[in-house]
Amino acid sequence: MSAIHLDSVTKRFGTHVAVNDLSLDVPEGSIYGFIGPNGSGKTTTIRMIMNILLPDSGRIRVLGRDDTRAARDDIGFLPEERGLYKKMQVRQLLRYYGALKGASTKALDPVIDEWLRRLGLTDWADKKIDALSKGMAQKVQFISTIVTRPKLVILDEPFSGLDPVNAESLKDAVLELRRQGVTVVFSTHDMASAERMCDRIFMIFRGNKVLDGSLDEVQARYGHDTVRVRVSGGAATLAGLPGIEAINDHGNYQDLRLSGDPQAFLHALVQRGAVQQFEVTKPSLHDIFVRIANPTDAEPAAAEVVS
Amino acid sequence: MSRILTVAQMEFLTLVKTKAFLLGILLMPVLMAIAIGFQVYAARHTDTEVRRFAVIDGTGVLYDAVAAAAAAHNAEKGEGDAQTGPHFVPERVDLAGRSADEAKLALSDRVRAKDLFAFIEVPAGIIDAGGDAESVRYYTETPSYEPLPDWVRDVLNRAIARERFARSGIDQSLVERLNARVPLASYGLMTRQVDGTVGQARETDVIATFVMPFVFLILMFLSVLTGAQHLLNAIVEEKMSKISEVLVGSIEPFKLLMGKLLGVAAVSILLASIYMAGGIFAIFQSGRWDLLRWDLFAWFFMFLVCAVLMYGSIFLALGSACSDLKDAQSMMQPAMLLIMLPYLASFAIVRSPDSPLAVGMSMFPTVTPFVMMMRLAMPPGPPLWQVFASVAIVLAATVFLVWAAGRIFRVGILMQGKAPNLPEVLKWIRA
Repeated sequence: MSAIHLDSVTKRFGTHVAVNDLSLDVPEGSIYGFIGPNGSGKTTTIRMIMNILLPDSGRIRVLGRDDTRAARDDIGFLPEERGLYKKMQVRQLLRYYGALKGASTKALDPVIDEWLRRLGLTDWADKKIDALSKGMAQKVQFISTIVTRPKLVILDEPFSGLDPVNAESLKDAVLELRRQGVTVVFSTHDMASAERMCDRIFMIFRGNKVLDGSLDEVQARYGHDTVRVRVSGGAATLAGLPGIEAINDHGNYQDLRLSGDPQAFLHALVQRGAVQQFEVTKPSLHDIFVRIANPTDAEPAAAEVVS
Repeated sequence: MSRILTVAQMEFLTLVKTKAFLLGILLMPVLMAIAIGFQVYAARHTDTEVRRFAVIDGTGVLYDAVAAAAAAHNAEKGEGDAQTGPHFVPERVDLAGRSADEAKLALSDRVRAKDLFAFIEVPAGIIDAGGDAESVRYYTETPSYEPLPDWVRDVLNRAIARERFARSGIDQSLVERLNARVPLASYGLMTRQVDGTVGQARETDVIATFVMPFVFLILMFLSVLTGAQHLLNAIVEEKMSKISEVLVGSIEPFKLLMGKLLGVAAVSILLASIYMAGGIFAIFQSGRWDLLRWDLFAWFFMFLVCAVLMYGSIFLALGSACSDLKDAQSMMQPAMLLIMLPYLASFAIVRSPDSPLAVGMSMFPTVTPFVMMMRLAMPPGPPLWQVFASVAIVLAATVFLVWAAGRIFRVGILMQGKAPNLPEVLKWIRA
């Protein structure tokens, strides 16, 4: 069964089409990454899944139910903009957010304690929210989305603004959820974590679905035209070589997108200097993202819409 | 339903636990007592100055009366620490061949030098002038100080009257006796008792007729405003700190709205009950059992709940349409006017509780609770049909306003940025 099923969903705000004829299937128990530039329709899609917004047309099924309102109690939702009552104590707030989803204090307390411990917040349980650092508050918000043991968790930008340590502990928490069989959907701008964590990746651009599939499938679609090279002289050595469409200069090495045959390119490169590394790789999610959403040649993206 | 109660409970506890609420309840009576006490004390004790003033007595016969009255006045106000008011010390001015203007200029200089507080010029012909007498002139640097001129006016008028009676050869005490005013006592109506005897009408009671309506009016204002104001602030804060989106991800907007309304209604009832308990205690202490009308308490709470729900809905709808407190404050003005309306009309309503104005206002939903409560508190009260009509109107309006607020709330709570205009808001209601 699929946890979320969208069937030709469209949402307009006035004349602006925020989400256009979107179909999507999120299998149960998977981690699904939503990526896309700001303002491309991610949050609107998530809000429709949450039944905060209603689609203008199309069908949405969540956890096997057509009435997404009925499913709401089984969904944990972390909105993009964090919202916590500053004057409330951590435990009191978690109990309140849990009670709003219909859970009793008795059922909530063990889960609250467990997650506070796991995220290193046990000592903060009786502190007020405004005494917490931003990272701690974000972890509290994360706990608030999962205290009712939801079957589906939707996280809008869960890692943004976190230091690496906090981001790491939240990523571990997400993986722990999957181990427990929870379906996780999260949107992110952090391509590395999407690549590392997600079973499937979905990209929306200007309201249209442009990518949907496992990382392998997505990378396969964009071909094996990426080459990682390390040459003496660095990027300067590459200047003027034929067949280079784009260079992503990492300093010690460069990722290249080639238009022609990689072997022919290698041949040309060897003439220029000592080649320390030459590897035909899959394009990174980052590269694919930039290729689709690159503002300098935005138009081609429309042609790559996945039907 | 249980989630509505969860929200209601949280709303109730957060509001009741705020320092402002506790201080408001506890401190209000204390503050009022202090304010009244201070005013009484200040009125008695601040002005213990000696006010010297000169009298240019053109008539030549009035100064002695002024001096005698001043001596009596000063004796009455007491001396030293026990002194409770100003002492007035007059002095006679002898023109000694100077012109009046010269003398007044000299006196003015003395006032400027703080040697005198004021001086008075009594025209020569004032006793015989009759109806179109000249004014007595009071010269001072401090015209805002009124006790002295007031006292002088009284003293001179009495002295002049006495002189006029004497000169006309009429016995003043006889005239005063003949002129004595007759009091008028105001009564209710006679009734036929169950046993057939005629029940005596009771004398109209100022407290029951005039004070009680205002007590209920003010109590309702206080309770409604405490709640409604809190709702507005809370909803704008939730919007600004993006809590709304978390909430509507868990609970339907309408349930959220209902929970908030119920929580605040409970707070208003608590607040009103505390003050009422105080009032009932005062009644017990004073033994004015006739003021204890349980039916009025029942009406009060019914109208209070309706008023809180109505104004709570209006303020929640306003708050949900705004994205910062400044917006909210300016949108609140018209709503506040609506609340102030019965207060502004209250004197007219008390004077004439069955006037078309009073009846009309008690049928206009948003002010019904206030106006009808006042009219109910005034014996004999409005006709029964009006009471039931107003109840029906206010209940219908409450249901409508809560519903409309729910529609606005649902859209507004997720809106960010510019506050919507009225047509947009109306569209949200119809959508």
